[in-house]
Amino acid sequence: MNERISELSKLTLEGKMLPTYTSVKFDRMDLFLPEHQKQSKRIYDYIMAQKPVITEYQTMTGHMKLDVKEISGPFMNARSLKNTDEALRYFYNKPIDNLSTFEWLHATADFGKIIRMGIKGLIEDIEKSKQKYKDDAEKISFLDSLKMVADALIKWAHKCSAEVFEFAQGLNNAEYKKNLLRLSEALKKVPQYPAGSFYEAVLSIYILFSYEPDGLGTLDRILYDYYKNDVKKGILTKEEAKEILQELFLMLQANTRKGSANFTRGGESHFCVGGYDENGEDVFNDFSMLILEAMCELPTYIPQISLRWTKKLPFETFLKVLDMSVNDKNNRIAFVSDEVKIYAATHIAHFPYEVACRYSSVGCNELTYPGGFFAGTTNTNMLRSIENTLYNRKDELLAADTWGKFFDIYKSELFKDVDLMIRYDNEFMRIRAKDTSYVTSLLFTDCIESAKTFTKGSCKNVVSGADLIGITNVIDSLCIIKQFVYDEKIITMSEMIDALKNNWSGYEELRELIKRRGKFFGNDDETSNYIAKLFCETLYEYTKDKTTELGYHLLFGNLQGYNPHHQIFGSGTRATPDGRRDGEMLKFGIGQSGGYDREGLTALLNAVSKCDKHCILSGGPSVTNLYLDEKLVLNKDNFIKTAKLLETYFKNGGSHFQLNYVSQDDLRKAKIAPENYKNLRVRVSGFSDFFVNLTDSVQDEIIRRTVKSN
Amino acid sequence: MKAVIFDIQRNSFVDGPGIRTTVFFKGCNLRCKWCHNPESQSLKPQIMFYADKCTGCGRCRGITAADTDFICFNDAKQICGKEYTVDEVFAEVVKDRSFYENSGGGVTFSGGECMMQIDFLYEVLKKCKESGIHTAVDTAGNVPWEQFEKILPYTDLFLYDVKAFSEKLHKEGTGVSNSLILENLKRLSGRAEIIIRIPVIGGYNNNIDELKDIAEFLKDIEFSKVELLPYHSLGEHKYDALNMEREKFSVPDKADMKEYKKLF
Repeated sequence: MNERISELSKLTLEGKMLPTYTSVKFDRMDLFLPEHQKQSKRIYDYIMAQKPVITEYQTMTGHMKLDVKEISGPFMNARSLKNTDEALRYFYNKPIDNLSTFEWLHATADFGKIIRMGIKGLIEDIEKSKQKYKDDAEKISFLDSLKMVADALIKWAHKCSAEVFEFAQGLNNAEYKKNLLRLSEALKKVPQYPAGSFYEAVLSIYILFSYEPDGLGTLDRILYDYYKNDVKKGILTKEEAKEILQELFLMLQANTRKGSANFTRGGESHFCVGGYDENGEDVFNDFSMLILEAMCELPTYIPQISLRWTKKLPFETFLKVLDMSVNDKNNRIAFVSDEVKIYAATHIAHFPYEVACRYSSVGCNELTYPGGFFAGTTNTNMLRSIENTLYNRKDELLAADTWGKFFDIYKSELFKDVDLMIRYDNEFMRIRAKDTSYVTSLLFTDCIESAKTFTKGSCKNVVSGADLIGITNVIDSLCIIKQFVYDEKIITMSEMIDALKNNWSGYEELRELIKRRGKFFGNDDETSNYIAKLFCETLYEYTKDKTTELGYHLLFGNLQGYNPHHQIFGSGTRATPDGRRDGEMLKFGIGQSGGYDREGLTALLNAVSKCDKHCILSGGPSVTNLYLDEKLVLNKDNFIKTAKLLETYFKNGGSHFQLNYVSQDDLRKAKIAPENYKNLRVRVSGFSDFFVNLTDSVQDEIIRRTVKSN
Repeated sequence: MKAVIFDIQRNSFVDGPGIRTTVFFKGCNLRCKWCHNPESQSLKPQIMFYADKCTGCGRCRGITAADTDFICFNDAKQICGKEYTVDEVFAEVVKDRSFYENSGGGVTFSGGECMMQIDFLYEVLKKCKESGIHTAVDTAGNVPWEQFEKILPYTDLFLYDVKAFSEKLHKEGTGVSNSLILENLKRLSGRAEIIIRIPVIGGYNNNIDELKDIAEFLKDIEFSKVELLPYHSLGEHKYDALNMEREKFSVPDKADMKEYKKLF
């Protein structure tokens, strides 16, 4: 890292690169305007009133914070959208009947397309669309508002250009002055016109990111041609490219307010490298590695990157990225499998392959496509269907003399909850659709063409997927019923129901026996593997042909890292057959913990990778969190074996994992004496954070995860 | 046909190349004083009792080592060793086939002395080998040569322990002479891949002359590598659980270990 980047890093971590809000006194005559024009004019006025952040160390500027209190509907940030915000107040982390909550969306602007065509190209598209809808006043009005926002983005860049020029005049350092003069020139060109160089392409993304501040997409693909051409022309070195990337990454950190919880979390600025291209080749190359190196050199928490693994990725490359991952003290790298993600996108979401292969991961590794979003996010308590089966349908259960008959009763409860989840999802999307989002709609695909805001179903590149919380508890509960009631006949159904209703009181011995002899998920035994497959298959069969009202197919995840849903849902769920007591939290993601994984890591990875052949659990995060003993990481031979282990997991169908290598002992101590462990970082789902910042329940869950050693 | 097995450990990184499953046979004809698996010595299932965990609930009253399904809710009383058929062992081993194939791993039969249950070992090795799984046998080598001949066709690798070169020292530490062990090793040389494993026990064989003698002996042996295994005390609590006497040894000095490694 050179001195300039080092200075910028320092300023960034001190919170000094964060743009400040400049308040705007809006013209009261705006109220006479039609709604779309009123809102877009206010966005325009707001943008033009802001001040760019300029220091001598920069070669880029133009990032800003859109104050959601001042303007309505600039982008998909929920708080800027009146109706969405209201729904969040009532439903965020507040489940309906302990079943579903309402969450954020995640999105990625189509940066690749926009830097190639420039804002000018978007304006041309708007004009074409206006011709198409010339008889529809509402659509014309919406398109005019998009054009006004587009104009604001161009003029903002020009304003930045002028201010940078002015600032440069006062500089003595020749190199820094040259940098800023180059920046001033470049801002006259991008993002208005197509980027002509690597630097301009990155600058264009830099300035536009503020308007869709979530994912960056598949950065190595978006930028590779610019990089290759400039290197070939001799106008760019690898070192210079790295520096440019680092400045972009620093902006992502800078734009988050220091002191907010998100400052040290990484997930909100996720993007991907590697993966299959349109021809089925793995795109990971030297430039992808350069992106990873550029990030890892920075002392920041944001952004974070997921490596898209494919069967064609050389083991040496995988090993190297794993090595970077375990050596990165800020835990910024996660791993997802293209084999699973692309299969699901083509077979379940029915995307054509050439679209499916362009996915990226955002947030906790939710699947997004360029210029599209991850819809749904109605997080759902899966264990409620088990609870309802056992507590509400006693007579039918007592008559169910075979496992098959029991499972049919359970299925009806599961389907009831899935239907409700989809219903709530539709209701929430209807609320979102009442709000109009002007900047996001400009940067998303299909919104200009259809002249509709992005939440009204205009976007095509969307997957809808709830995170299904407590899947492991569901599988375990079904396993115990099958094993204890039907296969081994250790207890009767009536006794099981009685034990649960009494919260195991009077049945402590049974509970101990279940804990110790129960066939729990993750141990690769016949029963638990069968149940896990049966559950995934059942879910797939029931949902594969269903869509939301907007026509989006359903792909699920199984945890959301930011919120303790497993605790929220658990607190309202009564005792369940897996030995869980009333109110105990649900298990996290898919995997096993708390000593229930008795057979070791290969068994766990086998169970996880083979249970979901249709890949229905691939839309959201489906994380296997691995907490590895340092011995497996620090010894070279062991580390290679660990890498082979994880590669096999992916080859077998695993979809997502992330590594931690901290000792359980350290985690326990950190919980008791957080002041001594302020720097201990762990990965939770798609994001990493300081351990001491996590909620109690998440801390406990992480401690319980078995530390896998040998 | 059945064998008494006391553990099947999946995802082992330390018993040969790649990712392996290690099957621990009960029964050993050596009595190494530093043995970290004392529960492996007897051929029969045994009760291990961890007094500090016992709450005196009494559920285990009348339980014998034959009650292999017994579960103590406090983990205080454990039955060590269970009879397995060849098919049962194979069913466990084959579960991680994909991990073996991707990592160059396989199955390792260890113990105790797995060659003491030679007929079973032969059958299970044959079954694994014929299904394409890489096989390793971890042995102290104190068995008739014919037993090696028997399993050679189905064994890819031997992890062969050499605990001392001096016969006197060997006898003192393990209770048996090493003449058969060294003789078998000579005969095995060139017939299969061999990894030599030398436990380095503080207070027993951690002297440079003894290790030099072993290195000298190994000059005539074809082996792929030598692994020096420093003594650790992790098995000590098991002696108490088995009500067995134990002797005190020490962990060899790290710097010394570096010196010893240079000999091989």
